[in-house]
Amino acid sequence: MDTYDRGCEICRRTFLGQGVSMLGSLALSSLLSRAAFAAETQPDMSSKGVVNPLHHPPKAKRVIFLYQAGGPSHLETFDNKPKLRQLNGEPMPDSFTKGQQIAQLQGSKLVCFGPQYNFKRFGKSGQEISELFPHIGGVADDICIIRSMWTEQINHDPAHTLMNTGSIITGRPSMGSWILYGLGSEADNLPGFVVLLSSGKGGQMQPIAARQWSSGFLPSKFQGVKFNSVGDPVLHIQTPPGLSAAAQRDSIDAINALNRLQSKAAPDPEILTRISQYEMAFRMQTSVPELMDMSKEPPHILEMYGARPGDGSFASNCLLARKLAERGVRFIQLYHRDWDHHSGVKANIAIKAQETDRATAALITDLKQRGMLKDTLVVWGGEFGRTPMSQGGDGRDHHIKGFSFLLAGGGVKGGITYGATDELGYAAVENPVAVPDFHATMLHLLGIDHKRLTVKYLGQDARLTGVAGEVVKDILA
Amino acid sequence: MANLRLDIREEALKPRKSGVTPIVPGDPEKSAIIQRIFATNPAKIMPPAYAHKELTAAQKETIRRWVAQGAVYEQHWSYQPIKRPVVPSISAPQAPVRNPIDAFIQERLARENLRPSPEADRRTLLRRVTFDLTGLPPTPEEMQAFLADQSADAYEKVVDRLLASPRYAEMRTMHWLDAVRYADSAGFHGDNLWPAWPYRDYVLRAFRDNKPFDEFTREQLAGDLLPHPTTEQLVASAYNRLNRVSAEGGLQPKEYIAKYGADRVRTLSTVWLGSTMGCAECHDHKFDPFTLKDFYSMKAFFADIKETGLVPDRGPKKWGAQLLLASDEQKAKLKELDEQIKAARKELDDAAAAMTERRWAWEDRILAQYKSGELAWKYQRPLSASSANGAKLTIYNDEPVDSNYYLNGSLASERKRGGGLIVASGPNPDNETYTVTFQPGAGTWTALGIDVHQDESLPGVRLSRGADRFVLTEVDAEVSTPSGARKIPFALATGTMFGYTPENPAMAAIDGNPKTGWSITIIEHYNPFLALRFAEKVQTGPDSVITVRLHHDSDLRRAVIGRFRLALSSGEYSYPEEGNSGNKHKIALETHSDELTLNIPTDKGLPPAVLKALETDEPERSDLQRELVLRHFEWADPKLQPFTVRLAKLEAERDQFEASLPHVIYTERTKPRTVRILPRANWMDDTHEIVEPAIPAFLGKLNTNGRRANRLDLANWIVSPENPLTARVFVNRLWRQFFGTGLSKSLEDLGSQGEWPTHPELLDWLASEFMQPSSGGAHAWDVKHIIRTIVTSHTYRQASASTPQLDERDPDNRLLARQSRFRVDAEVVHDTALFISGLLVERLGGPSVRPYEPDGYLAGLNFPKREYSASHGEDLYRRALYTVWQRTFLHPTLLTFDAPTREECTVNRVNSDTPLQALTLMNDPIFVEASRAFAANILKSGSDWNARLNWAFLKALSRTPDKEERRILTGLYRRDLARFRSGESDATRFLAVGEWRPPSDLDTNELAAMTTVARAILNLHETITRN
Repeated sequence: MDTYDRGCEICRRTFLGQGVSMLGSLALSSLLSRAAFAAETQPDMSSKGVVNPLHHPPKAKRVIFLYQAGGPSHLETFDNKPKLRQLNGEPMPDSFTKGQQIAQLQGSKLVCFGPQYNFKRFGKSGQEISELFPHIGGVADDICIIRSMWTEQINHDPAHTLMNTGSIITGRPSMGSWILYGLGSEADNLPGFVVLLSSGKGGQMQPIAARQWSSGFLPSKFQGVKFNSVGDPVLHIQTPPGLSAAAQRDSIDAINALNRLQSKAAPDPEILTRISQYEMAFRMQTSVPELMDMSKEPPHILEMYGARPGDGSFASNCLLARKLAERGVRFIQLYHRDWDHHSGVKANIAIKAQETDRATAALITDLKQRGMLKDTLVVWGGEFGRTPMSQGGDGRDHHIKGFSFLLAGGGVKGGITYGATDELGYAAVENPVAVPDFHATMLHLLGIDHKRLTVKYLGQDARLTGVAGEVVKDILA
Repeated sequence: MANLRLDIREEALKPRKSGVTPIVPGDPEKSAIIQRIFATNPAKIMPPAYAHKELTAAQKETIRRWVAQGAVYEQHWSYQPIKRPVVPSISAPQAPVRNPIDAFIQERLARENLRPSPEADRRTLLRRVTFDLTGLPPTPEEMQAFLADQSADAYEKVVDRLLASPRYAEMRTMHWLDAVRYADSAGFHGDNLWPAWPYRDYVLRAFRDNKPFDEFTREQLAGDLLPHPTTEQLVASAYNRLNRVSAEGGLQPKEYIAKYGADRVRTLSTVWLGSTMGCAECHDHKFDPFTLKDFYSMKAFFADIKETGLVPDRGPKKWGAQLLLASDEQKAKLKELDEQIKAARKELDDAAAAMTERRWAWEDRILAQYKSGELAWKYQRPLSASSANGAKLTIYNDEPVDSNYYLNGSLASERKRGGGLIVASGPNPDNETYTVTFQPGAGTWTALGIDVHQDESLPGVRLSRGADRFVLTEVDAEVSTPSGARKIPFALATGTMFGYTPENPAMAAIDGNPKTGWSITIIEHYNPFLALRFAEKVQTGPDSVITVRLHHDSDLRRAVIGRFRLALSSGEYSYPEEGNSGNKHKIALETHSDELTLNIPTDKGLPPAVLKALETDEPERSDLQRELVLRHFEWADPKLQPFTVRLAKLEAERDQFEASLPHVIYTERTKPRTVRILPRANWMDDTHEIVEPAIPAFLGKLNTNGRRANRLDLANWIVSPENPLTARVFVNRLWRQFFGTGLSKSLEDLGSQGEWPTHPELLDWLASEFMQPSSGGAHAWDVKHIIRTIVTSHTYRQASASTPQLDERDPDNRLLARQSRFRVDAEVVHDTALFISGLLVERLGGPSVRPYEPDGYLAGLNFPKREYSASHGEDLYRRALYTVWQRTFLHPTLLTFDAPTREECTVNRVNSDTPLQALTLMNDPIFVEASRAFAANILKSGSDWNARLNWAFLKALSRTPDKEERRILTGLYRRDLARFRSGESDATRFLAVGEWRPPSDLDTNELAAMTTVARAILNLHETITRN
């Protein structure tokens, strides 16, 4: 809408609407930005992606998104609601819920369900965090808690899609793909966008579709590559059984030599690309197993994360995420499942806390001690939150009007809490942060203006943030 | 400037409130837009700097000139009626002008001072046209015949041969299925498989038979509305059901109905109108004349499709409206079975009715047995447990065992004594037989119980070691005493009903057929139980040993039970035990009635509802209780057993028979839902206008004489001359398949934001020719005619070689001074390797198949948790078109080569080149296996190395290798042969990948070394490139 108000209508309606060519505008804009920034002394403004140079100086170079799938309850994690505790068992005041979208609680009596755990203040900053997360409490001064997230989709699948792609319509690139497309990859023997899955106990394991890390309408080289914790870490990364590594190398050399002959006979840049992809494939055959090998990690590091090599746990994946970050992977997304607590919130959240608290804190600490936290954005959160009303007496239903996110590093202020839900934790009322706002902020930290990372698709300048998105400036360091 | 519309001339010419006029025709200086465009003040300039859409001086000048010339608005090109353009005459042709396509292309080239390329060499040409029309390369024989054919129409004859091939239909179908987002799974949430493949076969037949595109359109959108629709037309109407649907509990039906409708409008609009109507779901389209109202009016056409927001993925209402595709014979057989069941039921009921006093006595006896515990199943502590094919079986009697299972929706863990539990681990073969022995002690036994245990460690619905179920194909048992062994025959099998699977009834476990079996498919978590009644009571002495064999021989790989216990009953027929979860269980007897749903697990051999009924005096019993008691009596009384068994057999036969018949989701009509305009797509907003079906207003109005317009009216309009879009959209899409890019490259959008076509007249000529062919022999909307016209043009037949000058002038080859080169589609990559290797099994249509897939690939799925189970034999080697299209986890071989997931309509596949593609071609078992089969054929092709290599190249690349290529591959062969011989590489393991076995007379090391050579050839850029 803002483009309307600011009068961009003219350019769009006339020049695009009537088919007058806009050729050259892209080149021009990049020239202009280059000129604009040339005068200042900047860190490295170049990138290997389409956003080159970057739109503004970046704070973060990469993102580790610890995606808590299923919808973690904000009320037992990062959003303390004493008033809700007081009203425990009382009817939920009508004023909160009237006309609102509700999932499984449709038609049932809505009763307040108080927080199941106490909150404590942590760190110098005195951040309020549930007592179940003492390790995250230990890094309280490094993290920013956003208590005012909200989303539009109340079922898992569409809500994931919105969180990942900014749209509920399938076919859009995921955020990792956008970022890889914009910035390119720093890793020459690993994919630039890696996805890791784990599940634990204490909740229903909701499905996660591969579309969540799809590159949508962008070429598939920007799609997330899922690393498996069992079997081949990357599909077909293993040389076929019985073939020695030298034989595999020999075959690749032969293939590339034959392709080079073709290229000489009929020059075609595509052949050269294919040759380089075979080289990359071979490098991956070495680098991926090496990456997955935890035997060289010192015991105290394994201990810090709570990781047992090869167990495929969230903790192991956090450690793996650090290794991927060290190797230049641009976007690392961990899905940890089973946060869907329609029943037994109290017991189940305790299990989830056990699975994620220590490893999350360890990752932040580990990145910090390696000097990488300053340019790595760590995100912790899920697709939505959970109702302040009870479901079945001991559970919470899906909830979209307010939930919490944690951010750390990558140019985000530490030790702050941003935004707030109302006194019952129902709706984000202070500084609400919509999903596109989060996306815009993440891109901003990476040196990208979210309005300018666009691709022509279905007649639109499609972007991760759709037609929305405001950078949350108050949390920027 | 808000609300200013410059796309509508009247608006743009109106003075604004501020006094300025955006456009004054003929007077640029007075026109506000010109002042703003040329402004130097940053605050005034348009577009504003923040938009990053700066105009060049030339662009600014163009606009100024346009205003000066009167600011004439023209309707966007694609919305103007299609008029057949005059074919330009080429005065001095630089290349053959074989048909009007060449005239249009060469006229433009001449204007650009470019020359068309000469015709490609014959080898390239045959490869190109064979790939493009059939998705496979030519065979050496075809190549030889073509090279030898000196007749003037040799090429045209090839084209006719290819167009007549069923492979042509497969290739076209592949692209159409992308557009209509056909898939074998529902797409949302559990993404379970649904019956859609008969629709795919409809499309295959339509392309094979060259069904006119207008008829094709009508049948898909409105097959059910045609007068006296044929089965074929009803199958076609499945088109309306191909959108993704959800079975997620807790979804809001209204929201999903809105999603499904919007999906249909987006798809229709892309596939037939090349328009981005999806934009108008929230607001009037910003660039094209589609309004919010148009979107919802279009959606209203589909409001008569019978559907629910939550589309069940199991149970009797599974997938909503389904069409049974049975022959008359099959229908008669079903009817006959139904009648036999009815008769058997009556016989049983009559017999039971004549035994009232016997039943009274039975009631007392069974209650007493229940109370004394005699009816309860007695779990056995095995003496031994072994497997036939390698699985490790561990017996837990007093030993503690860990169990992880779902209870009330959460994962629970416990560690307790096994009490006879048997757990499988280690090797996980496709088929397996367990042999268990136990010593029950002295007694008299009536039945054997098999208690299957869920555990989170089991990937197949948490019960099985693989697949999406277990299938217990046969059970046999024997009793041995010191005097000898005796087989124990079974009379009746009764399974728990929760998750009942018609194709796998309990009786199938004792029917003597090794392929059919008992199974349960559930998504919640609980322990199924099978009760097998002995034909006669079995006596055991203190030393007797009972041996039980559980066979898992189904074609479903690894559908093998993971954890189980065995039990015996000594009572008067103990009912199967219902498992240990707190979830709702369905306890049904012969009826599958929902009324019999109970919330308490069965134990002690009697269903609680029956127990409760028995404890109630007969006059006090409800009707349901009376029925329950009667049914249970019928099931349990030995005198009634012959009737019960007969009925159970008939019911099993009927269920299996019906499940074996093809079904397809299709369109059933219902009273149309109310469709309202939902601004910003807010489905909760019930305050806006109700709309009736209508086509986009700017494209006209349907004349239905006041009758509510329906899908058939829509389809008729789509293929009418009044609609300027469909023919253009379709031929533009076809063009892409033969040149790599559309005439407008934005295949999905011919609206104002789409690319203006490079050759608008050619596009319109093709569109006219499509609707009304000028040449004899072709019919209206003749797809083959258009394709034949394209591929017989010189433009298509040109060489693809470029020059640096041409690359600079026309880097994307849009002017077509040459042909293009591109990697073939995902399916074609797969099919080509199988075809070259000789493994490809060609059969038109049929149920979807499952080629190999890495273990654990579906681990992200749940509801149910499942594991992939590859097909066997021929189904492993079908064309990729037939691969089960699982939307949320598309088969990785296809996904890696850019096949779309078909969650949403796709008309323009991307074509990328990634290291994952290299890993797939080198290491994916199907390609390793294809290399082996190819190698075996190479070895058989001749005895001389050079002849063999020639043959291999001809097969894969339609040419012979040159000296250098020969040198490289000879070296590879020699070195690998040495590696295999020395043991550095292991030929036996390398050759064991995949099911196909090479002829045994080949030397293992030579075959292995030749396999690496074959693999190198299959990996070549040239092999997977259409030139």
